[in-house]
Amino acid sequence: MTLPKKRMKKLELPLTRLRDGERGVIISINASSSHRRRRHHRKWGFQKRLEDMGLTPGTKVTVVKSAPFHGPIELQVRGSRLAIGRGMAERILVSVER
Amino acid sequence: MTKKQIIIALAGNANVGKSVIFNHLTGMHQHIGNWPGKTVERAEGTLHFKGYTINIVDLPGIYSLSTFSIEELISREYIAIENPDLVINVVDASVLERNLFFTLQLIELETPMIVALNQMDMAKKKGIKIDHKKLEKALGVPVIPTVAPSRVGIYDLLQASVNIIEKGKVAPSKVRYGEEVEEKILELINLVGRLRLPYPARWVAIKLLEGEEQIEGKIRQMNPKILSAARRLAEEIEGIHGHSCSTVITSERYEIAGCIAREVQQIVSPIKPPKRERLHGLTTHKLLGYPIMAAVILSIFFGIFSFGDCTSGLLSDIFYGLEPVFENVLGTGIVGELLWGGVVEGLIAGITIALPYLLPFYSVLYFLEDSGYLSRVAFLMDNLMHKIGLHGKAFIPVILGFGCNVPACLGCRIMETKRERLIAVFVVTLVPCAATTVIILGLVGAFVGVQWALLLYAVDLLIIFALGRVAFKALPGEPTGLIMEMHDYKVPHAKTIVKQTLFRLEEFIKMAFPLIIAGSFVIKLVDVLNLLEPIADALSPVTVGWLGLPAITGITLIFGVLRKELTLIMLATLLETSNFAAVPGFGPVQMMVFTLVAMLYIPCISTIGALVKELGWKKALLITVFEIIFAIVIGGIAYRILLLASIW
Repeated sequence: MTLPKKRMKKLELPLTRLRDGERGVIISINASSSHRRRRHHRKWGFQKRLEDMGLTPGTKVTVVKSAPFHGPIELQVRGSRLAIGRGMAERILVSVER
Repeated sequence: MTKKQIIIALAGNANVGKSVIFNHLTGMHQHIGNWPGKTVERAEGTLHFKGYTINIVDLPGIYSLSTFSIEELISREYIAIENPDLVINVVDASVLERNLFFTLQLIELETPMIVALNQMDMAKKKGIKIDHKKLEKALGVPVIPTVAPSRVGIYDLLQASVNIIEKGKVAPSKVRYGEEVEEKILELINLVGRLRLPYPARWVAIKLLEGEEQIEGKIRQMNPKILSAARRLAEEIEGIHGHSCSTVITSERYEIAGCIAREVQQIVSPIKPPKRERLHGLTTHKLLGYPIMAAVILSIFFGIFSFGDCTSGLLSDIFYGLEPVFENVLGTGIVGELLWGGVVEGLIAGITIALPYLLPFYSVLYFLEDSGYLSRVAFLMDNLMHKIGLHGKAFIPVILGFGCNVPACLGCRIMETKRERLIAVFVVTLVPCAATTVIILGLVGAFVGVQWALLLYAVDLLIIFALGRVAFKALPGEPTGLIMEMHDYKVPHAKTIVKQTLFRLEEFIKMAFPLIIAGSFVIKLVDVLNLLEPIADALSPVTVGWLGLPAITGITLIFGVLRKELTLIMLATLLETSNFAAVPGFGPVQMMVFTLVAMLYIPCISTIGALVKELGWKKALLITVFEIIFAIVIGGIAYRILLLASIW
């Protein structure tokens, strides 16, 4: 019995942990880190904004690069190029294969 | 033939070439104002086509019709309530999927519409081929391919618009969601169908499922039972999908947009990465991006200041050369003096700001914006702006503020929410503008030392950071981060830039000129009535007692309200010398304190005008009063510190 030399593992990471050029699939967006609101109708804020810009669960995103000094992240999503502030990107959970 | 009136609205994402199309359609017959009660720009224009008088309304560039930003709300209410005869949805062919997401929302509003498939040339360069006939079928609305800068398709657009209006409504395809969502929509349509709402029932049903607050509020007033039914249905969907209902709907809508996009476009990748891709890489580069940005901004400032300095000197020479002529006509009596010193000098002051500085400023700004560079700057500076509670987009108005606070305040409109706008405007009024730089360099730089001038700048930046943070913490509401599309670099359309610049200039003239003229008239009147000395005496507890300045500075600080550099000019006039070092009782300490106060104490009258326009009277007054008190407090503290330090 031999182990495969290179095993691809599925990881769940915040978008900020992706390496430059890496691609992942959005799992979820955490609405508010401090006090999560359960009710669906109370989250018309930044989450709605992200979704309107095309960052919905199931979407493939590629991290192109992040700006230095913990700056925003450049993404390739739905055929367009987006810049997302780091604070927001941290709340986007993606799954990647490594 | 009878003249018929039609109203057409232009809607679409930001940076899709909407304003270029607007300019081609309306030519010189344009009018830019604000939406009633809002600080969002409303551009309107008219044209005549085949016997119709067509009014075109250019809606703000947005990505969605939800109510996240004021622009989105305005656009939605305009389309739904004011019912334009037709909406032209301008779509960027090179980013089809994202743009179609917005198109689908327009279709859901059930407004008669056509699609202008713009930037076909950009799409082609990117290797994207679009079958517009197929798109037309998929959407159920006419699709006209256009290349706005070279007028391709503009005539067809008008022809198609008139066709639709003459033939009556077209039937756009329904945006169909998943089975379980559709079920709930139908259930809700039955409930809301009986209400008298200005929106289509299906649209209201979808919005209720999404939990959109505006619509929920309206329904709550009419029939709260419907609202609880909607919430129950939404929770059912949530149970099925494991995501909130609004997420599910947005997701599916994007999925539909993606499907259509994939169906109608064919991607043949270009052979080598095009130039603008490399330019993008370079200008957002981790190391090179910053020096490039610094070089661009510094050269712009240097260019504009040298141009402005030279031109404004020339203009004042010409205008002041007219003084003897003027005196001959009106005499040197009180009336003549009031008219010249009050009205004409105010006018000159306005012109020497507007033409030499604002004109080049605005044109460069629009050039950078249209080309796409500003969004790269926002990307690079996002982190720094977060330190003062703002995000990358705010860097642009802040940088503008170093030139002139007025366009900077108006530029804060790019911030999405009211809260962000308020913080940005407040920060901008603290930025030392060109006139403040004249005082800092002309007084402290020349008579105390350049290092001290730089220290004052550093102090100002520190104050900006500190107060920005305080405002960030103190103001209610959720802070928003940066979410921005960085569209591809493109060559800006010259005519559109010229038009935008001229409109901005007109806006400034209308807003600031009356204020500057009225202000200088009042001050001249006070002068003629010999009230300056008593006022200076009245202010002396503050100026002399607390700030340790000569009493005369009270007068100059009042003049500075008109234009900040007048503090220095008036100081020279009143002291009858421009060699300030020779004035007794006005040493380096006084110069430092005076400059510090002049730098902080009040936004000039034009800026106050801009504040009123952007924030309303109350907040403008609040900021003004706060900054006066703040400047006096800081000035007094600085005076005591400098005395203790006894450097000089």
